[in-house]
Amino acid sequence: MPGYRTLLKTTLLAAAVAFTLPAEAGKRDNSVKWASNQVPESLDAYFNNVRIGVILAHHIWDTLIYRDPKTNEYKPSLATAWRWIDDKTLEFDLRKGVKFHNGEAFDADDVAYTLNFVSKPENKSTTQQNVNWIASAEKVEQFKVRIHLKKPFPAALEYLAGPVVMYPGEYYAKVGPKGMSANPVGSGPYMVVEAQPGRLVRLKRNPDYFKESLKPQPKIETLELRLVPDQNTQTAELMAGGLDWIFNVPPDQAQQLKTVPSLQVKSGETMRIVFLTMASGEKTPTPVLKDIRVRKAISHAINREAMLKTVVGESARVIYTQCFPTQFGCTDEGAPRYNYDPAKAKALLKEAGYPNGFEIDLYAYRERPQTEAMIGYLRAVGIRANLRFMQYAAMRDSIREHKAGFAHQTWGSFSVNDVSASTPVYFKFLADDVTRDQEVRDLLDVGDTSVKAEVRKVAYKNALKKIAEQAYSVPMYSLPVYYAYAKDLEFRPYPDEIPRFWEYRWK
Amino acid sequence: MLQYALKRAVLALLVALTVSLVCFLLVNLSTDVATAMAGEGATAETIDAIRTQYGFDRPLAVQYFEWLGRATLGNFGDSLYFRTPVAALVLQRMPTTMILGASALGFALALSIPLGVIAALKPNSWIDRLTLTIAVVGQAMPSFWFALLLMYLFGVTLQLLPISGGDTWLHFILPAIALGYYAAPAIMRLTRSGMLEVLESDYIRTARAKGLRNTSVLFKHALRNAVAPVVALAAVQLGFLLGGSVVIETIFALNGLGYLAWEAISHNDFPVVQAVVLLISLVYIVLTLLADIANAWLDPRIRIG
Amino acid sequence: MSNHAAALEATFEESLAGPSPGELLRRRVRAHLGLLLGAGVLVLVLLMALAAPWLAPHDPFAQDLARRLIPPVWHEAGTWSHPLGTDMLGRDYLSRAIYGSRISLLIGFAVVLISGVIGSVLGIVAGYFGGRTDLFVTYLITVRLSLPVILVALTTVALVGSSLWMVILVLGLLKWERYAVVLRSATQQVRNLDYVTAARAIGCPTWRIIAGEVLPNVSSHLIVVATLEMGSAILLEAALSFLGLGVQPPLPSWGLMISEAKGYMFFSPWLITIPGLALFSLVLAINLLGDGVRDVTAPEGRS
Repeated sequence: MPGYRTLLKTTLLAAAVAFTLPAEAGKRDNSVKWASNQVPESLDAYFNNVRIGVILAHHIWDTLIYRDPKTNEYKPSLATAWRWIDDKTLEFDLRKGVKFHNGEAFDADDVAYTLNFVSKPENKSTTQQNVNWIASAEKVEQFKVRIHLKKPFPAALEYLAGPVVMYPGEYYAKVGPKGMSANPVGSGPYMVVEAQPGRLVRLKRNPDYFKESLKPQPKIETLELRLVPDQNTQTAELMAGGLDWIFNVPPDQAQQLKTVPSLQVKSGETMRIVFLTMASGEKTPTPVLKDIRVRKAISHAINREAMLKTVVGESARVIYTQCFPTQFGCTDEGAPRYNYDPAKAKALLKEAGYPNGFEIDLYAYRERPQTEAMIGYLRAVGIRANLRFMQYAAMRDSIREHKAGFAHQTWGSFSVNDVSASTPVYFKFLADDVTRDQEVRDLLDVGDTSVKAEVRKVAYKNALKKIAEQAYSVPMYSLPVYYAYAKDLEFRPYPDEIPRFWEYRWK
Repeated sequence: MLQYALKRAVLALLVALTVSLVCFLLVNLSTDVATAMAGEGATAETIDAIRTQYGFDRPLAVQYFEWLGRATLGNFGDSLYFRTPVAALVLQRMPTTMILGASALGFALALSIPLGVIAALKPNSWIDRLTLTIAVVGQAMPSFWFALLLMYLFGVTLQLLPISGGDTWLHFILPAIALGYYAAPAIMRLTRSGMLEVLESDYIRTARAKGLRNTSVLFKHALRNAVAPVVALAAVQLGFLLGGSVVIETIFALNGLGYLAWEAISHNDFPVVQAVVLLISLVYIVLTLLADIANAWLDPRIRIG
Repeated sequence: MSNHAAALEATFEESLAGPSPGELLRRRVRAHLGLLLGAGVLVLVLLMALAAPWLAPHDPFAQDLARRLIPPVWHEAGTWSHPLGTDMLGRDYLSRAIYGSRISLLIGFAVVLISGVIGSVLGIVAGYFGGRTDLFVTYLITVRLSLPVILVALTTVALVGSSLWMVILVLGLLKWERYAVVLRSATQQVRNLDYVTAARAIGCPTWRIIAGEVLPNVSSHLIVVATLEMGSAILLEAALSFLGLGVQPPLPSWGLMISEAKGYMFFSPWLITIPGLALFSLVLAINLLGDGVRDVTAPEGRS
């Protein structure tokens, strides 16, 4: 096709013209059309476990407690005050005068019904970890409710400010999870007007949203979320004006979209960390990784700073221990740092008896360009890594069955801001622990179970230090998320990756 | 005729059974079902529990017949990923893919039959050469590449057509072209050669010699005979198109069977994968059965031969 | 034989429909043109694949994140040190494209080898022995035709894990049906030739008849199907790679290059255009070659 390039050139030129025209259909009718590569099959917040489900939940429903996304402080929402009665009992004073979208008034019955229903294992809520700490909820007065915990659980408030949303009890008792998914009813700033599971959700501003809410009164009239599986198609729609807002844009596309006059791009860091695991335990399928010199060589071989600036994206940061820096107990103090030094890596390999390097399979399941960059760096010091790219479940099974020894992994800690949710998963003799160092395990155990903050911190610090000294894994960096959206949309990203459309507006 | 139809139907049934066995084995031989079902973070005990609960510890043959028995009644179990009954999911997604498949085939036929006929009428004319070029180019062009090109040109740059989704018939134009273009060459070649053959045949010559008007010969006799194999090929191609929809649906965000299959494959949701592969195969088997019977009816020689 | 397989076969045999002498001549000339063009490009690509280490200006795997996404030399920002620019990891695009020809050809040849052996054996056996054997093979072909190739390939590769060899194996095991269809009917024709019937009558061993009489007579059909199937296998690999389940990085497959470049198509279109054109030209050349071989050999094969 000889004319192909000319064709492309012409289209590019035409495209340049097209981009200068305002393509903001949403601005005219005060709506925002956005897309995701996933739309939950069930809109009942307790019966889907996808990120976009959490985002929708915060728009449709409210929680008892509001967590200020800027300061991480807990503030009143549906509950005006709360207190620990003992280690296992929480008491809430509820707000009066809040109405659900269907007119039902909010009170203690709603809280009790919602929590008792979703926490009951036989109701098979999908997100068990969000509710399985609840023993029961009990109405004390019309606007006072108590939650009984199964065992002491300091993170309870974190969950009550996050995924645990409140349903209208009467309605939920009548329609159940299926009905709630088909016609979701909440008290939140947006009401569902159309729901096609797995495909489309249309939300409308709730004009009667309770005035005292710390979520500001919504300004955008309608929100339309649509499934667009292919990232490239999302970008195309955004440029053509069919969409107003997209997220999880790959870093390079984000950079390029910045040059489109009708769009803007923002980025933010997430709690998800990236690291390479290297099986050095007894049953390792890759005995070469048992040699600490080889592990150190791998650590020295990869230029994490350069990757951050290019294939990862700059709003993230390099990490030196396998946890997210804001997590309680996470520190890289005293832990050795393996800086980018290919010469040293080669020397270490030679010392270990591999002057010509070796061949190894590298397993991965997401952010393939990053894996490729790692492979490129390893290759430069003589380690010929072959990519084995698969689904997460398949990769994890291979690791657990000692078939995969070398893996590019990531961990989001379920957004829990505590090391107990990250490092121990990989070093406390659990299924994903491919190292099995007893000393590390004991230290982590002290950190996980102690009630004294100082004791915990010291234990975690020593564990992280030992892990780094032994180069058991290669901590890489945190992951950023990029948003691209119409120029006239006022938008602000948050570290928990939840867009808050109730506070955004068209300029 | 009836005997022929019956014979074909029995063969179709046999093929359908074998295909179901392949669908079943495809998943059960290449992965450990219980582990995949247990999902993220499952312990060995959970996996064992699932294995006993769902009977994965029984012989494969027993499992197959049980699965087949349920499948015959339209019960494919629950999707592991979507957590809804597979049958409902598949039925919900089917119309989109059927519309896409039909419009893609419609596009392919609309493009290739006229071109094929004209090419046969005027062999070695510029239009014959054009037809050949379209055929050769079409067979060499990666469909996803073509799809991206179409999207870029008509969606982003000219902004003439919607890029993604399946809300209106306009949304189906680009995907149908992208998908149908790949099926066009084969139909075009077959129409052309079929027409050439018929035009050379004795009875057309006789008809012409008798002084029947050219157009009447062309449409009443030649086309009808030339089109018979095209019907069969169209059925084959529709089967290919349904399979190929996985790429096109992903690109154009059409929520049909192809995309469902892709989602299911990505999430190890094999009850859905099995159901979709089986369903597309069955559609193909039924279509070809109908095409064969239609052909036998059009052309008596087939029944006897 | 069910009719759809016959239709499939017909697409390969269209030119056997008794063309007039003049038409035949013109067609031959044209076929030769296509043949020459196709063979020419294919030989070029073959040479490129063989001479890759000498032709490629850089190591196709060597990445340099500081020099990524450099446009090709015809852009203002291009440079002669990377005539086709660099990709998202700063690897030289020309070198990757050159080495990519190896992967595409390897896939084409290997898939054709596997599927060709399976399909030819089935087709020849069915055509030669006829009867129940034929019925059984026909039934196998129908089953195979009923299964959607892309979906079955995707599922298998997703479950077993994808690698170059897995892709080759899966495609090879799936794409044998056209050989079987075409060789079955070709063999049927050969079997009924007088001297073959005679050879059978005097008790010549079956294997010798097949090797000595059948194979040489059906080989032109085999070559035609093999070329066309080769193009289709290369395209299928590209489709699998496009969905992320084909050849795995860092191997420079053209399909993979397209897949990795699709995110850049709006702003760095050369990234998707270059491997796309390479793939397109190779498949086009292979198909032209196949068409040409068919047109040239068909009349003798029939008479």
